[in-house]
Amino acid sequence: MSTLTADPPTTARTATPPDTTQSHPNPTFGGTMRGEWIKLVSLRSTWWALTSTAAVITLVALAAAASLNAMAGDTAMAPGTGQMHGAEVIASGFHFGMLTIAVLGALLFTAEYSTGMIRSTFAAVPTRIPVLAAKALILVILTASVTLVSVTLSYVVTMPQLSQHDLVPALDDPGTWRVFGGTLYALTAAALFSLGIGTLLRSTAASITTALTVLLLLPGILSFITLDWVQTIVSYLPLPASSALLTTGAADPQGAYLSTQTSLIVMAAYALVPIVAAAVTLHRRDA
Amino acid sequence: MIVAHELTKRYGDTTAVHTLSFTIAPGTVTGFLGPNGAGKSTTMRMIMGLDRPTSGTVTVNGKPYGQHRAPLREVGALLEASAVHPGRSARSHLRTMAATHNINSSRVNEVIEMTGLAQVATKRVGGFSLGMGQRLGIAAALLGDPRTLILDEPVNGLDPEGVQWVRQLVRALAGEGRTVFLSSHLMSEMSQTADQLLVIGRGRIIAAGPVQQVIDSVAGDTVRVRSPHASDLATALTADGATVTSPEAGTLEISGTTTERVGEVAFRGGLLLHELSTHHASLEQAYMNLTQDAVEYRAHTTPTSTTAKAENR
Repeated sequence: MSTLTADPPTTARTATPPDTTQSHPNPTFGGTMRGEWIKLVSLRSTWWALTSTAAVITLVALAAAASLNAMAGDTAMAPGTGQMHGAEVIASGFHFGMLTIAVLGALLFTAEYSTGMIRSTFAAVPTRIPVLAAKALILVILTASVTLVSVTLSYVVTMPQLSQHDLVPALDDPGTWRVFGGTLYALTAAALFSLGIGTLLRSTAASITTALTVLLLLPGILSFITLDWVQTIVSYLPLPASSALLTTGAADPQGAYLSTQTSLIVMAAYALVPIVAAAVTLHRRDA
Repeated sequence: MIVAHELTKRYGDTTAVHTLSFTIAPGTVTGFLGPNGAGKSTTMRMIMGLDRPTSGTVTVNGKPYGQHRAPLREVGALLEASAVHPGRSARSHLRTMAATHNINSSRVNEVIEMTGLAQVATKRVGGFSLGMGQRLGIAAALLGDPRTLILDEPVNGLDPEGVQWVRQLVRALAGEGRTVFLSSHLMSEMSQTADQLLVIGRGRIIAAGPVQQVIDSVAGDTVRVRSPHASDLATALTADGATVTSPEAGTLEISGTTTERVGEVAFRGGLLLHELSTHHASLEQAYMNLTQDAVEYRAHTTPTSTTAKAENR
C-alpha cells in the first residue's frame, strides 16, 4: 500500500467554507494564454525540444561552414563557393530544426490527449477554440525565439570559417535578411502545420509520423519517381517550396524553385489549413 | 443543480446512455451508482461538456456547461481517469487551470493545503500514488470554489483517513448549499455519505430517490431466525405465506413477514428458537438486487454466487 506511506500528513482536513470575500475573476483569452504558457514551461520536454532545435541548427551550420574548406580545395567545386551566400550556409541546418520543432508542435495537443490532461483543459475552456489559438500563438512565439537564437548562434560560430572565404553575410545586405526571414517563416509554418496535424489526429505517433513525412521525407522518397506531374507535386511540398525563401536567389538550379510569392502562399497554406480544419472539428468531437 | 432531459449517448450500435432524465438538487449529496459500463462516466462527461450527447440535454446551474462564462466557478469535477500530465508538478497543474480563470495563486495554495498536498506540490505528478492523484483531482475540482461538484470515484485509492476526509468534505459542501454528485462502488461509504441515490444500469435509470427509500423499495426488512428445527419451521412459515431462504444450516432468513408473526408460527408448531431478529437491508444488498440484471461484466470464476460482486474492481 503505497498510499499509506506516500500520502503526506495533512494539516487541514476539514472543508473551509467558501471565501465570500474573494474577488470573482473571469476567464479571459489572456488567462488561457497564460495557462498554456505555464503548461509549456513546466514540462521538461519543451526545454529539450527547444534546446535541441538550437543545437542542431547551429551544429549543422558549423559543419556546413567547415566543409567550405574542402569545397574550395576541390577545383571542380571551387567556382561554387563564389556563388554562395554566407547566409545560406548559416541557415543550412534549418531542415533539422524543422524536425524537433515539428515534434514540439505536434505534442502540444497529442500529449494532452494521451495523458488525459485534455479533460482538465476543456473543462476550464469548454469553447475549446481559444485553447488552440493560444497554443498556436505561443508556438509561434517559441519558434520565433528559438530561430532567432539559433541563427545568432550559427552566425557567431561560423564567422571564423566564413571570413576565410569572404562569405560573412553583411547585415546591410537584403539577401541576408531574406534568408534569415525565410528560415523563420518556414520553421514557423512547419511548427503550425504539426500543431494542426496533432490536433486533428490526436495520437502522438500518428501525428509525428505524418508531420515529419510530409515536411521532410516525401521529397526524398518521391524524387525517385521522375514523372513530371510527380515532380510538380514535389515542388509544392514544404521543404522544396520553402527553398526559394532560403536562398538569395543567386543560385537557382534550373529554375526548380517556386517564385517567392508562391512559396510564401504555399507555406502559409501548410500552416493554416490543418489548424483551420482542426478548429472546425475540435468543437464537435468528444474529448 | 444538474438537470438532464432524455440524455442519450450512442457509440455506433452501442447505447451507453439511454434517455436519462434526472434532477440533482442543491444542498444534497447525490450518489450515482451502477455497475461498470453502466454509463456513469459517460453521463458525467456529458455534464461537463466533454462528450456531446447524441440527443437530449443536460444543464448545470441552469445552462449547458459550455455556455457558462466561468465554468470552473460553476462546476468542479474529478473525472474517472487521471486528467493530469505526469510530467508536471501538482502546483503547475493547478496553476495552468487557475490561469484560465484568472484565479490567483493564493487560491491555488489554499486548495493544496485543503487536500493535504503541501509537501508534494512541487513533485512531478507521475510519481504520485493513486491516493495522491485523487487528492490532486479533488484540489482541481475545488479550485474555482464551484457551486456544483461532480466527483467520479473520489475515494478510489484513498487511505481510510482520506476516505473519511472526503466524506466530511462532501457533507460540508452540501451543507453550504452546493450540489454534490458523486459516484462510488463502495456501498457502505455511499450509504454514509449520500442523501439521494441515482442508480443506473445499461444506461437507464433503475432507481432514484432518498437512500432509505431506495433500499426499502427493493430490499425490505428480513427476519432472521436460528432454530434447531429450521426445516420444520421453514415449512410452517412457507405455508403461512412467507418467503424463506436458508443461508446456512439452522438459520433462516424470512421476508414478507414480521418477527411477531414468526414467533407466533413457531409457538404454534412448538418449535424452539435460538434467535429471532429483524435484519435491515444494507445499501449493498439493495444495490445487488437492483443491478443483478444490469451487470455487464461479471466475474464467473468466484466459487459461490453470493460473493460474485457486481463490480470487478
